[in-house]
Amino acid sequence: MKIIVLLKRVPDTEAKILINQDGNGIREDGVKFIINTYDEYGIEEGLRLKEKVGGDSKVTAVCAGPEESTEVIRTALAMGVDDAVHICDPALAKPSPFTIAEVLAKAISEEGFDIIFCGKQGIDDDMAQTQSILAEKLDIPQVNNATVFELADDLSKAVLNRRIEGGDEKVEASLPVIISCEKGLNDPRYASLPGIMKAKKKEIRVKNLADLGFNEAPSSGRSRVLKWLPMPKGGECKMVEAEETVDAVKELARLLREEAKVV
Amino acid sequence: MTVQGIVLLVLFVAVLVVFGFIVRMLIRTLKLGKPEDRSGNIGQRINSVLVYVAAQARVLSQPAGLGHFLIFWGFIFITLGTIEHIVGMIVPGVSYTAVFGPVVAGVISWFQDILAFLVLLAIIVSLFRRFVLKPVRLKIDDPGARQEALFILTLISALVLLMFGIKGAGILMGKVDPAYAPVSSFVAGLLQGRGLDLHMFENVLAWTHHLIVFFFLLYVPYSKHIHILGAIPNIYLRNLGPAGTLSRMDFEDESAEKFGNSEIRDFTWKQLLDLYACTECGRCQAACPAYLTEKPLSPFNMIHRMRAHLMDERGKLLKGQDGEKGETGAEGVEGTPIIPETMTTDEIWACTTCGACMQECPPFIEHVQKIVDLRRYLVMTESNFPQEMQAVFRNMEVNYNPWSIGFSTRADWAEGMDVPIASEKKEFDVLFWTGCAGSFDARGQSVMKAVVELFGKADVDFAILGVEEMCCGETARRMGNEYLAQTLIDGNIDVLKKYSFKKIVTACPHCFNTFKVEYPQFGFEAEVMHHSEFLLDLLEEGRLKAGKIESTRGTYHDSCYLGRYNDILDQPRSILNQVSGVEITEMGRSGKRSFCCGAGGGRMWMEEDIGRRINEERVSETTKLGVDTIFAACPYCITMFEDGLKAGEIENVRVRDIAEVLLESID
Repeated sequence: MKIIVLLKRVPDTEAKILINQDGNGIREDGVKFIINTYDEYGIEEGLRLKEKVGGDSKVTAVCAGPEESTEVIRTALAMGVDDAVHICDPALAKPSPFTIAEVLAKAISEEGFDIIFCGKQGIDDDMAQTQSILAEKLDIPQVNNATVFELADDLSKAVLNRRIEGGDEKVEASLPVIISCEKGLNDPRYASLPGIMKAKKKEIRVKNLADLGFNEAPSSGRSRVLKWLPMPKGGECKMVEAEETVDAVKELARLLREEAKVV
Repeated sequence: MTVQGIVLLVLFVAVLVVFGFIVRMLIRTLKLGKPEDRSGNIGQRINSVLVYVAAQARVLSQPAGLGHFLIFWGFIFITLGTIEHIVGMIVPGVSYTAVFGPVVAGVISWFQDILAFLVLLAIIVSLFRRFVLKPVRLKIDDPGARQEALFILTLISALVLLMFGIKGAGILMGKVDPAYAPVSSFVAGLLQGRGLDLHMFENVLAWTHHLIVFFFLLYVPYSKHIHILGAIPNIYLRNLGPAGTLSRMDFEDESAEKFGNSEIRDFTWKQLLDLYACTECGRCQAACPAYLTEKPLSPFNMIHRMRAHLMDERGKLLKGQDGEKGETGAEGVEGTPIIPETMTTDEIWACTTCGACMQECPPFIEHVQKIVDLRRYLVMTESNFPQEMQAVFRNMEVNYNPWSIGFSTRADWAEGMDVPIASEKKEFDVLFWTGCAGSFDARGQSVMKAVVELFGKADVDFAILGVEEMCCGETARRMGNEYLAQTLIDGNIDVLKKYSFKKIVTACPHCFNTFKVEYPQFGFEAEVMHHSEFLLDLLEEGRLKAGKIESTRGTYHDSCYLGRYNDILDQPRSILNQVSGVEITEMGRSGKRSFCCGAGGGRMWMEEDIGRRINEERVSETTKLGVDTIFAACPYCITMFEDGLKAGEIENVRVRDIAEVLLESID
């Protein structure tokens, strides 16, 4: 079984995010990058599937991103992914989901696939578009926000739970299929040291747009990012203190009425 | 030579030959382990043997040790007598009197008599302790161990009683001088006039005695009394360096499939010798914070079970080694994993690495390294560890601290204060190492601010690394993630080498121990001081002058990595004593025998869901003293105690770092 896991290099969840001067990206100095946390659930699920199916199953990571993405690709390889394709081209500096889906579709088709796992969204720009556009481009079913994944014994279809408001929805999909993963699907493993050592020798096939048969970067679709804006500043917080709780409540009520004018 | 003499000679030689084979097998078993260098420092090593074997210094650190002291010395003299008697039976006429003269022989005989009598008393006390008092330290899971102890005590008593019988009869026959045998003379009085065939009587007793001795010689290597063979070399070969150092792992071999220890052969020969050395006195477990709060770990049980495991494994492994010359090498024989049957993961993770076990152990067994070696395998080879640790490792990898806080905010605590940053200052006297707790934990930050204010008052020329500082690696190392620890250590050394400074000062005993005794393993040496040492120097140089605070009755808690591991006991107390208004009451467990707060060995970051909580145990010890303040010198201890006080809903006790108190007294 040929398993593809998609991964994206994103700023660490704890990183201090500052918009760059041009307003078209973030300042990268002092920012650590990690594998998109939702993609990790995908990697883990791919590895578990390989362990379960056995045989000549293979897990290939596919990542589109700048040169520095090698580091996160190695992390995936250390977790146990067999090999990786790294799509890297200066023309993909600030890609839209449409562009990325187009190049991913090409690269994945070249690799061949039975099942594709990815995160439900990137934790950086939170668009949650790529997997759906990719499904359309590949013309395969998609199941998003998976929290449970099982493969039928004859390997023909997947049975999944997907998280919806207030509960889970049980879904069945025929293979090949693309599945986007939600928190709770699994606990991603911590790479073992032999895994880290082996990862140094695993193959990463670097491809640019020309290698994938594109003359120029594919269209970015009909929407366009105009500008990145800093987070609007939150209001000042005022603590109401008094010796007796009753007095504090009175003061709070007064402030809400007279200053905030909300009651 | 009589027929009896010939029979005894043949038997004696046979026993010695068999004993020789057993010793050879024991040595070959040790050689199954990995190499470790314990050579050198011969003078210091011989001194160790004099202090800890001959004078039994650690044994005597507890009252019950007197019994062992008597049995040890009693047996040396009894054995001298046994040798004399056996040789005398083989070659009639040979005796100490004949060889050394009556005075030397008399002195030996006198010591024999007196000590043997005291041995009997010691055995009675031992039996009373073991079977009536049952102190915590003698509790063991394996019922066989208790039966064995009883069996051995019975044999020793029998040997002593037989010896008195033999000597008593000897006095009546004129072979032994009663002047040098007060107890035997009494026995002779009992035997006199009973119409005994004295020759026959002595002979039967002597044969029984010698056969027991022969049996003992062959039984010892298979019992806990193997410590008679193992303890002395173990004390000679003890770790003379700092106890808080873990072995450095080498990650050069990228094709390695295994890191850390999973089976008995992964340990070094010295670690295996430790297993021979255990006397099963149980002092380790009576000091172990994990054991005393009902965790599954007991260092005593660990050593006992690991020795049993070694004994079970050695036949198979030695056979495999013999095969080396033939086709299958030792590598071909699979060792049985230590986890989960000999040790469970719950035991391995319960250790706080506080080192109390090693501090107490009379034959200097090194427990902590073994636990860390097993952790290393679990973490690095199997990725098998309590789930909450994964986030901690990730945080340390990505943000260089165990808290989940961005690394770029590491110096934010110093905002608004005049704290120079190394990258701007380049050259300074003191590198103030803030540490993760000092950088990210609100309580730790307030301690750092106090230290920095004191630096300001004393005009100390210092700087911090700020965002260039990473976790020192201590936690990762003790959690078994040596690879991550070395990444952090190497990173820190690269940064430290960029600047010129005279010493490192830190307010965290964990950072302190790591820089002081572990960084040199990685090629970085600097003078490292804990803030208690440095602040005391400032006081003594007159650069700071302690003042007065509101009257406080407190107690001081010795952090493990400061007191026990690094002998810094007086400095923090001296600072507190200089602050007027502070009155210190010591806890029962203090100084080098302090009781861990529960945070060491990465336990700070793990759930404590088995047994009682260690921090609450320690807090209740302080509150029994009726103090209003717990003084500490470690940010982890402070956190643990504040949590413990909260859990116990104790509102009238505060926890304060020595720097905070000193600053308040000056303000």
